[in-house]
Amino acid sequence: MAIRTIPLRPVPREEFPIFNKHVCPPTFGGDAIDPLRPTRRIARNLDIKMDLELRDGTKIPMWVFEDPDDDTEARRTFPGKTIRTVEGDIVHARVGAKFNTHTIHWHGIEPTPMNDGVGKHSFEISGNFEYQFATNQAGTFLYHCHKNTALHFEMGLYGAFIVDPKKPDIPEARDVPDPPYPPGGPGFVRAYNPPLHLVRYDVEALIVPDDIDTRWHELGHDAFMQKCDPDNPIAAGNFTQDGILHDFRPDVFVLSGEAKRADDDTLFEKAAIHAKVGQTILIRWIDATYTVQEVRAGLPWQLIARDGHPLGVPPFDQYSHPVDFAAGQPVRLTSAMRGDSLMRPAQPGRFPITIDYFHWITGKKLYTARTFVEVTAD
Amino acid sequence: MRRVNRREFVKYAMLGIAGASATALAGQDLWQALVTGRNRAITIRLAMTEALVEMVDHTMIYHWAFEDRDNPAHLPQFPGPLIEAIEGDTVELAVTNNLPTVHGFRIPGVAGAVGVGLELGPGESRTLEFTAPAGGSYMYFDHLNAPVNRVLGLHGPMIVLPRTGNTPYSEPTPAVQQLFDHLGTTGHFPGEPWKPERTRIWLFSTVDPRFNAMAQRGQQIDATQLKEEYVARYFAINGESGAFSAHNHHTIPSGTIGQPHVVRIMNAGMTSDSPHIHGNHVFLLARTDLAGSYQVQENVLFVDTQTSESGGRMDWLLPFIRPPDIPGDHTIPLRRLIRTELSLTLGGVGQSPLAYPMHGHNEQSQSAAGGNYPQGLVTGWQITGDLDGVDFPPSNPEEKGGPPETH
Repeated sequence: MAIRTIPLRPVPREEFPIFNKHVCPPTFGGDAIDPLRPTRRIARNLDIKMDLELRDGTKIPMWVFEDPDDDTEARRTFPGKTIRTVEGDIVHARVGAKFNTHTIHWHGIEPTPMNDGVGKHSFEISGNFEYQFATNQAGTFLYHCHKNTALHFEMGLYGAFIVDPKKPDIPEARDVPDPPYPPGGPGFVRAYNPPLHLVRYDVEALIVPDDIDTRWHELGHDAFMQKCDPDNPIAAGNFTQDGILHDFRPDVFVLSGEAKRADDDTLFEKAAIHAKVGQTILIRWIDATYTVQEVRAGLPWQLIARDGHPLGVPPFDQYSHPVDFAAGQPVRLTSAMRGDSLMRPAQPGRFPITIDYFHWITGKKLYTARTFVEVTAD
Repeated sequence: MRRVNRREFVKYAMLGIAGASATALAGQDLWQALVTGRNRAITIRLAMTEALVEMVDHTMIYHWAFEDRDNPAHLPQFPGPLIEAIEGDTVELAVTNNLPTVHGFRIPGVAGAVGVGLELGPGESRTLEFTAPAGGSYMYFDHLNAPVNRVLGLHGPMIVLPRTGNTPYSEPTPAVQQLFDHLGTTGHFPGEPWKPERTRIWLFSTVDPRFNAMAQRGQQIDATQLKEEYVARYFAINGESGAFSAHNHHTIPSGTIGQPHVVRIMNAGMTSDSPHIHGNHVFLLARTDLAGSYQVQENVLFVDTQTSESGGRMDWLLPFIRPPDIPGDHTIPLRRLIRTELSLTLGGVGQSPLAYPMHGHNEQSQSAAGGNYPQGLVTGWQITGDLDGVDFPPSNPEEKGGPPETH
């Protein structure tokens, strides 16, 4: 008996526009749709070409964001310059696609589809567009380009997006500036702590694991995208067959923008944390890899939030509670997950933080990134 | 006890005839049985067979697949037919191996021989009975030469509903119980409680054609070689990829604000992915731990991204709350507040209803045949109307807004 087939389901002609848009979104631009008066304005341009330099001088081509309102060196960084807004803000985000078409997805922030930055459910930006969204949940988010995302996210088009809670009127807030809080601290984070559910931190650190397949960094903007044929969007002839975007083989490993080859086991200095005995350290983990991470710290810590939501805090997070981790106890993370954790070192010393990278199929350990928390006496 | 033929309530099998092995839970008989509280006897007759499965780029790939022998057309399905039961039901299971080598059948979490796993020689048939276990999500698969036989297509979903209660579980944790008690009864979850028919299955699978070709040639596949050399080239949800899985109404949850859905994710493929949902966070209700044990969660996290391990399962509650970061007065219905957006037609597709994606964030899973973004592991969900049950007005096909479109 001949082997029977399980065919693709038939696609009627009236579904062709939605099948075409899935791969070939339209372009659009201009001012905010259904506009409200903003309480905060931000801006980003993309994509800007930049090189990421390794210790041996090798340069890896990257694409990054630019903050056009910043005239310092910090306007163009990898990862992108951190965005900070305040809980309850109505944000207008002016995005300029300087080369080709792009989008920005405000990952974990949940506005309408036209403000969510996914082309197949809205459009890609040609020129400029002003996204409009609220930031109603204080926590850790990220922003990234969502066009040909496998490539554009890998190329470096991502950055941290932090929503700060408002400053409480309590004595320990006296030396804390008004939000958005300064990078590195001090500030307040939303976490289980009745009745206000705010915790003051002294030191803030961002740890952002990433990995790079240097072969991918030689590709073009639309690499291996299929052809657009509105008259037959499902035609076999539209598909490219020679791509490598399914086959991720990282050979460079990154922590918070610092990159090392697989055979370089030196410490990551940029992600290192410096604090004093008795201080409260807030670490915001943002996973920007295409692998699987296992994270360990040489100090006990408490997980207080996941994906921008504070564990245990009503109303939506009353079904959860913060989780205590012992020194050395592993936590697993995969791409785009965020975790906020608090540490309160009681004695001076240098405490290791390690991030193991595992292949997403074989599970084999690819690399261990090492950094540390340096605690000095008060 | 009365005997019912599963054809009476499993719509999933009928969908399989058209090649869309996606699932919708709609069987009246199942709900009737829940109401009457009677234990039923269910008969399931599966056969293992060969099939050529058409990928999103029309490449035909050899698979091993299940067929439902009570499906009138006797066509293979990928993934296998949905088994639906109520806790305590007596399930009579007949499995036939129509492949030329030894194959197995196992449902982890089920007591007795089926939970341990059967082995069937070529042409062999076995019939066994088992009692439907506690309410939850299960996956059946060929456990032999693990994970080779599962990955090559011999897998399918099983859903068991609890006999009582308002959650998907027979033994919900206090946190899960409280969450379901709050749906439709609290200020933060206005709308309706969960209804079991508001359920979707997202069964993830992967293909590396080199191993499928080895199976087609009758070559023995070494499990270690597969694990070390596997390069996934196609990624599917319920047997479909890309635009097909993103626009299959059996796969995408759809409803007005206040109509929460349960999504049951099962990963039969080879990759550990990081599924990410837009528009709403989801409550992580249950998942298999690293040892493979399925646990209703004591600590119910509210997340937008969560690891899906190869071979693992996890259940999400998608609350269908009003997307929380749409700015403006929350007492104004969206049909008025975002009137312009809902009226627009961009790229020939209306912006009404509000559609959001769900996709793997290990973004290499968004590819097909090495590129063709986003034709991989992607689907989505949509909000069709406001909390008061009024649907959003359809978009105006002539209203394009902004500057002229270009491609």
